[in-house]
Amino acid sequence: MTAAEPSAAELRRELETSRRQLLENYKMASLGRLLAGIVHEINSPIGSILSNNQVSVRSLELLQDALREAQASGSAPSDKALDIVETLSGLASVDKIACARIASVIRGLKTFSRVDDSELRKVDIHEVLSDALRLTGCEFRRRIAVEVDFAELPEVECHPQLMNQVFVNLLINAAQAICGEGKVAVSTRLEDGWAHIAISDTGCGIKPEDQAKIFTQGFSTKPLGIGTGLGLSICKQIVEESHRGRLEFDSEPEVGTTFHIRIPVLQEKNRAE
Amino acid sequence: MESNAKPSVVIVDDEEMVITSLRAFLRLETDFQVEGFTDAEKAVEFLHGHPVDVVVSDYLMPKMNGIQFLAKAKESQPEASRVLLTGHADKQSAIQAINEVQLFQYLEKPWENSQLLLVIQSGIERARLIRDLRDKVSELDAAHSSIKQVNKRLLQAFL
Repeated sequence: MTAAEPSAAELRRELETSRRQLLENYKMASLGRLLAGIVHEINSPIGSILSNNQVSVRSLELLQDALREAQASGSAPSDKALDIVETLSGLASVDKIACARIASVIRGLKTFSRVDDSELRKVDIHEVLSDALRLTGCEFRRRIAVEVDFAELPEVECHPQLMNQVFVNLLINAAQAICGEGKVAVSTRLEDGWAHIAISDTGCGIKPEDQAKIFTQGFSTKPLGIGTGLGLSICKQIVEESHRGRLEFDSEPEVGTTFHIRIPVLQEKNRAE
Repeated sequence: MESNAKPSVVIVDDEEMVITSLRAFLRLETDFQVEGFTDAEKAVEFLHGHPVDVVVSDYLMPKMNGIQFLAKAKESQPEASRVLLTGHADKQSAIQAINEVQLFQYLEKPWENSQLLLVIQSGIERARLIRDLRDKVSELDAAHSSIKQVNKRLLQAFL
């Protein structure tokens, strides 16, 4: 070995940097994919709020006039004044719902935008799942019903942003597998020191001839240009290498697919496999 | 449809909040008759029995999208003006709509109330002009055939 060749340690560092870069790129690609749905999700509530605000301002002017008139003539305020108050009240309720919707979408985005810290943390995995559901909810919107079955789980030691990406990826895949209406079910179970998260869909399933290949980097069943074929390989990497867990699936064409994520609840106590 | 009846507008959007907001705005600024539907199927049923001037629809809706709905609206009431109001910034869908369903106007969400009002007002004017024209043409046709009848009888009387 000549002096010019990089050492094993340097190569390892380079590999680690490349891996992190790949994960980051994939995260951005996922976000891009979700963006159209997110924009649409926010557009309607914002449209309502803007309209309601304009109507409220105008209504308050009219209300002011009506009350001044009543004051000037010493009579009771007209029915119109009460009418206006009722309208304003109704619009305020709509605004509340609209704001809650926007806040919910933003909350889902926050997880995504956080810088990926390499620290393991003990988190409530249900919250990570809920964040992912919120974000991908824009994709599902009334086309796909979501069923949630969360068991009692202790805090799970993991990289929450990475797990969030895995969940988002699997949920997006589930949505894409379903043509028209369908169902996605998310469940969690505690199995002997392991957290088992299952994400299933009633979509088109994975063809038997593709099943062996789906975790391969670059493999994709989507038309050229859509998807990079990295998703599942990265998910497998995150679950198996970063969390010493297992990522498996069962699938039946035309019936649906279920992905099983199993990660140890505590990392240190897990025996290296 | 009576031209002195109140202008009638149908709004279809799967979001209840959008319908509430639009209805409140139109109620404040106009005396239009406004019917809102979150279910496009129900709107189609309504259109079968009630003549309207303008139909405003969202694009992205479950079961039936805005273009599919407006196509049915066109079948049922071709003279009513069709407006697509959508957050789905897909220009291709709008162009498709303009051609397929003879869309009157296309507006993007979030909408500007004053702009929407102008569009609806123009839509009402257009729908009424078309209906008046059709009525006049029918009247002319009827008058024409009765003149032809009278002509025929006159000729017969003189022959």
